[in-house]
Amino acid sequence: MDSTKLMKLREESGIKILEIKTDLSSYAASDLRKVLEELLAEKVEKVVVNLSQVSHINSTAVGALVGVAKRLRQNGGDLKICALADNLTRTFNLIGASSVVEIYESENSALAAF
Amino acid sequence: MENVDIKLKIPSAVFYIDPVRAFIGNLAKNLGFSRKRVADIQLVIDEICSNAVHHGSIDANVGVKLQITNKAHTLEILVCDTGSQHKGQNNWLTHERLSEIEANRSPSNEGGHGIFIAKSLSDTYEMQINAAGGTDVRVGFQLLNNTENRH
Repeated sequence: MDSTKLMKLREESGIKILEIKTDLSSYAASDLRKVLEELLAEKVEKVVVNLSQVSHINSTAVGALVGVAKRLRQNGGDLKICALADNLTRTFNLIGASSVVEIYESENSALAAF
Repeated sequence: MENVDIKLKIPSAVFYIDPVRAFIGNLAKNLGFSRKRVADIQLVIDEICSNAVHHGSIDANVGVKLQITNKAHTLEILVCDTGSQHKGQNNWLTHERLSEIEANRSPSNEGGHGIFIAKSLSDTYEMQINAAGGTDVRVGFQLLNNTENRH
């Protein structure tokens, strides 16, 4: 199955919002990276990743989000994450990625932070 | 708690990790692990199976073997790969490579977190070279008591 079909892109006030509707395990993490790489190729600067419908994330997916956030910042943009379930927050905290990527409780608060 | 001894073999491809993660998650839930602990177990399985597929398999046909046991209130999962012949070595996880991964781990790095996660979230963790020249990773999760909080 192509999990990119469960990754919906929309735009609000010039900010790309990527809504993930699948667990981000090893299989889906490579598709996430592909979608994010496409945004980088399109010179998108501001991205919010909404994880409200994700119940599992692994280190590969966290790494993809961290990597793209760092690359966007080099060009004056950023990637912000929102709406994490408790276990996802624990994974980000365990890796330490919550000190690298900005995490917000809601999509609105992530959008407002740009 | 029921004694369990289950053996699985999956092709060395990430596509097959999700079903294994779901299966072990359901098993852990049914054994009485809390929701939080089930999520930990599933994450650890994802990480060590991912390492076995990406670093520890010559090709997809060789496969990754899992053995799941539950004895004395401990769910134990053994994940075995057969080696990748990386840089002329079957075993991807030499002592030097392991030390290098641990020394260089940083929150801002995109990779190198899998072993750290597995060690951090499991109650017991062992890695060793197996007879096939690959790596065996054994993780254990203790069920605190028969009425572990399911929330």
